[in-house]
Amino acid sequence: MATKQRPYMSDARFALLIVAVVLAFHVIIIAMPLGYSFYLSLHETNIILRRSDYVGFDMWQEALDTPEVIQATLLSLEFAAISVVLSFALSLGIAVVLDLDFPLRGLLRALVLMPWAISEIVTAGMWTMVTDPGWGVFNGILVPLGIVPEGFVWLNENWALFWLSVAFVWHIAPLGAFFFLAALQSIPDALYRAARMDGAGPLARFWYVTVPHIRYAVLIVLVVMTVDAFRQFDLVYAYTAGGPGTVTELLPLQIYRFNFQFSQYGLASASSFILIIIATVLATAYFFLLSRRRRVEREVRQAAVITG
Amino acid sequence: MEPRQRRFVIIAAVVVAVWTMAPFFWLLWASLMKNADLNQGIVAWLHDPTLQNYARVFGLAGDDEGYDAIFGAQTVAVGNGFINSLVVALPTAIIATAVATLAGYAFGRFDFRGKNSFLFGLLMSRVLPPIAILIPYFTLFNAVGMIGNPISLVITYLTAIIPLLAWVLMGYFATLPLEVERAARLDGCSRLQVLWHVMLPMAAPGISAAFIIAFLFAWNELLFALVLTGGSEWLTLSPALIGVSPIGPLGITPMVVFAAASTLSIIPPVIMALIFQRYITRLNIVDPVTIRGV
Repeated sequence: MATKQRPYMSDARFALLIVAVVLAFHVIIIAMPLGYSFYLSLHETNIILRRSDYVGFDMWQEALDTPEVIQATLLSLEFAAISVVLSFALSLGIAVVLDLDFPLRGLLRALVLMPWAISEIVTAGMWTMVTDPGWGVFNGILVPLGIVPEGFVWLNENWALFWLSVAFVWHIAPLGAFFFLAALQSIPDALYRAARMDGAGPLARFWYVTVPHIRYAVLIVLVVMTVDAFRQFDLVYAYTAGGPGTVTELLPLQIYRFNFQFSQYGLASASSFILIIIATVLATAYFFLLSRRRRVEREVRQAAVITG
Repeated sequence: MEPRQRRFVIIAAVVVAVWTMAPFFWLLWASLMKNADLNQGIVAWLHDPTLQNYARVFGLAGDDEGYDAIFGAQTVAVGNGFINSLVVALPTAIIATAVATLAGYAFGRFDFRGKNSFLFGLLMSRVLPPIAILIPYFTLFNAVGMIGNPISLVITYLTAIIPLLAWVLMGYFATLPLEVERAARLDGCSRLQVLWHVMLPMAAPGISAAFIIAFLFAWNELLFALVLTGGSEWLTLSPALIGVSPIGPLGITPMVVFAAASTLSIIPPVIMALIFQRYITRLNIVDPVTIRGV
């Protein structure tokens, strides 16, 4: 029998009490600053005269009229798109390998999570070791082999965004791999055996048995990676600092510069709402996918109750 | 398994291991070099390994070649950054875990009206870009003179991490069996006694995982730390590392010193990752989805 919890009155009150405390905390630490940010975005601040004038939505208009803001937004979306494709492929690949049987598997599973645990700054440092044109690992190996010319610049105008993305993916993919691994491990072996008895080859087994079972993990990894790429600041600041030129000047970095280097507080706040709006759209998609997943799980569980 | 297939599996495992570990290896390698040797190329035999770079981070190296006069202040900041980061990360992780445990228990165990809206609110704050939160916080803290004060950093970190932890713990509490809780209630435990004596011990693995996530976040985070502690005596580890980074905005410190400082800085996260990995595979957290730093 399916047991759905029916709280008694005291339970409900207890839950509401806790929720009220959390909510109050939440309002203080999130809603208030956001409201204040909205207030700032409606004002133009003059730091020399130390005054702040109400200008309505002028700053929002200015943000949309500033080519740098539009360029940074597009670059951020491009970065998110490249990163999500790479990290999806990589985390699924790592998960499939970790699910196989080989010596020292336990050790490798432990080590694989390490890139996720370290900071973006150290990630940036490590990838500088690899891509530095003067003494880096790539040129140290590829120049003697004659594959690239001496002093080849990997972070050039065309490819800097890509290498930034590679460093990001190295850092983030282990997490996706563990989501996929959890999904892969939940597939009963009996299904694979049955498919094999029916004459399915490795590819057919992957497509007809594995893929349906990891579909939700797929959706979730896609959305998590997109959101995380879209709001990335630390790695960009530490690895390319927006360069060369402005080819990796992503939106969070741009907003940081507006606010903390150029003291354009109104413009920075208005631009940050572009970021918030896009993130909100992504979050809504995320929530929708998750609640759909819940519903399906419940149906599966009910089906199990009925048939079991 | 046939030998051919087996060989293929082992090659795949080696590829994953090299991809994961090679950057760690090169960082360590560079940290043991002299800067002059590094400039000749990192791909070279370590014929003259040195611990000088580590000694510099601890402030134990002598003042040869006038190093201290130029880079001394930034390098000492890294050592202080370790202590400051610990002072910030521990309270952050403790408070965040405590609040999120209560929230996770309420969300994971009870149905009530408006629960979905609360969940949506939690999730929304999880995807908010840090920079969007930081600007108003900076202005507020600036107005009350709390820039350079570790408390302001702890407050912002709590903002960023609590929604995520609540989400993770909610999933964890939802998987725990109801019967034990019922039995404890029937035996006359109060609601809070049940939470303290029954639920918390059962949820200990999930709570530990939450603690680790929060600690890692506070230890690694750069943007908030840069703005809220930059230039003060409370500079934490991440902005201090940027200070000695030759690829950062200042960009003149020797790469080998940065490599040594970075290597030291990742010791606590790496240990925690190795612990966390055991939890993550043993736990079966309902929504593993949400385990991601902010």
